[in-house]
Amino acid sequence: MVSILTGLSTAAILFIVSAGLSLVFGTMRIINMAHGTFYMIGAYLVTLAFAGLTMRATGFVIALILAAVLVSVLGIVIEMFVLRRLYQSEHLFQLLATWGLMLVLEEVTLIVWGPNNVTGSIPGGLSGSFAIGGQSFPFYNAFLIGAALVIAALLWLLLKFTPLGRIIRAAVQDTELIYTLGVNVKRLYTQVFALGTFLAALGGALVAPSTSLGPGMDAQIVMEAFIVSVIGGLGSIWGTALGALVIGLFQSLGNLIAPEVAALAPYLVMILVLIIRPTGIFGKAEA
Amino acid sequence: MANEAKVRAESTQAVETPKTRLAGWFSLIVFLILAGVPFMMTLEMTLIVESALVAALFALATNFLVRDAGLVSFGQAVFYGTGAYTIGLLWMHNRSPFEIGFVLAPFIAAIVALIIGALSLRAREFYFALLTLGFSQLFYSLSIQFYSFTQGDTGIFGIPLPDYLRNPVSSYEFILIVGTLGTVVLWWIRRTPFGLTLRAIRDNRTRSQALGVNVFSVQLAAFVISGFFCGLAGALFIVYQQHAYPAMLNWEASGVPILMSVLGGMGSFIGPIVGAFIYTILQMWVGTETQHWPLFVGLIVLGFVLLYPGGASRALSQIRQLWMKRG
Repeated sequence: MVSILTGLSTAAILFIVSAGLSLVFGTMRIINMAHGTFYMIGAYLVTLAFAGLTMRATGFVIALILAAVLVSVLGIVIEMFVLRRLYQSEHLFQLLATWGLMLVLEEVTLIVWGPNNVTGSIPGGLSGSFAIGGQSFPFYNAFLIGAALVIAALLWLLLKFTPLGRIIRAAVQDTELIYTLGVNVKRLYTQVFALGTFLAALGGALVAPSTSLGPGMDAQIVMEAFIVSVIGGLGSIWGTALGALVIGLFQSLGNLIAPEVAALAPYLVMILVLIIRPTGIFGKAEA
Repeated sequence: MANEAKVRAESTQAVETPKTRLAGWFSLIVFLILAGVPFMMTLEMTLIVESALVAALFALATNFLVRDAGLVSFGQAVFYGTGAYTIGLLWMHNRSPFEIGFVLAPFIAAIVALIIGALSLRAREFYFALLTLGFSQLFYSLSIQFYSFTQGDTGIFGIPLPDYLRNPVSSYEFILIVGTLGTVVLWWIRRTPFGLTLRAIRDNRTRSQALGVNVFSVQLAAFVISGFFCGLAGALFIVYQQHAYPAMLNWEASGVPILMSVLGGMGSFIGPIVGAFIYTILQMWVGTETQHWPLFVGLIVLGFVLLYPGGASRALSQIRQLWMKRG
């Protein structure tokens, strides 16, 4: 029971981060390798820059939002000055560019905050644990599951009922279509990329108190986010949620049964899914 | 595809053979100069060139897949690592002599490529790139997780070389000769009907299919060939370093040969070789000045991709044309 809940809290973070990656891909057709680095910066901001704020639960929530907003501003700048120049070039160059961004941003993060691993602390009011079925479950993990549900609901509302959401859905359906709709594509891409980086940073900020931050965490999460989005089908929010659940549960249950294999589980699941359905569970065939 | 016309123009350019004879003489001169390196330069410089030679074969084999076949794989390091680990594992578990491992290495890498290729080629474009990336991380995790088999993240080190490769000059010449043979074979493959079919598929998959080409088999064959030569490069790495370790396998390691190709120019055959030399020399130079080498890699990538929005390869073919005119 508790390991299922642990799996759900892992899935919660994976969902938030992967949703950003998947939306950016679905709309802009860009595989953002730097996505994990925005997550990393979000985590570092909350742990190190806003350390004073994060003592209490309310301050922590403010710090979360501040970190995510700051990183999405960074995302906007990067979209305007780097990505915007690449929409017409080959996929390979887009991949290389976001990879380059990842390397630069990671090094700059490590230069600013030092290369040593840092551990966050869970804010008062969110610490402690409660008992379920005779085992204890950290309260913070329950908070993460709740946060993911709230974000999923907000994303659903955004996509379903706002003008921006409608355009995003149209773009996911047919990327070429939006050029014929008279949509300001430039502005749309900036907005979507800002949303994507916001979600990445929010995921990082949420995970920061309960984990140790260090070099390589961005590569780790971006791989997992790729796997989650690919399993669900790039561009599909529901697919992302399903993918996150599958990977989260596989990881926590795998840790219980066979820890050595658990590290391999995500890759095996991804390979299996893509062999059966080469565009992911909810993905549509490439045009 | 918006780039189709451009890509097609590039491919016809590659088929034409102007001044082939001149290029042949030029290559021979470059080979002789390279062969003379250990006699003319310090040991340290020789080792840098040696490392660049290994990287050049890896980059060429990767570029063969990415540019000629149009298959953007982010997992070629798997085969590079497999080549190195084949020698390492055979020595560690079996005490097999170096020669056996060295001969087997590219074939084992080709078999792994056959399996990964057969599974990955079912997917296209982004999904293909991500699937190869997934396989690369799978192998990377495998090499770390099973300590008793692979010695985990320390890797297998101190792999002994036979007597005739122990001195730096002979190991350098060995790498140069094997690397050159690999280069010649890859160059030849591009010119065979198979190589032309490969580019035809890249330029227009549907039309090739309509002409009766079995797209899957041809692309799989290209994947296996690329895997074979990446494996050979991995085996040469053992001659250079005597050490097989997990970081050889991960996705950043797969990005490096692509970056080298972009640096040197993907459109031309020698581009990846030039790129491998530029990258290796930069790494040695910047690496001694600062520990933030990845920052420079990132800036180089961004600089290239941004300064030439049409693609770095175009800019480099322009430079190459200028260079041809001058030479």
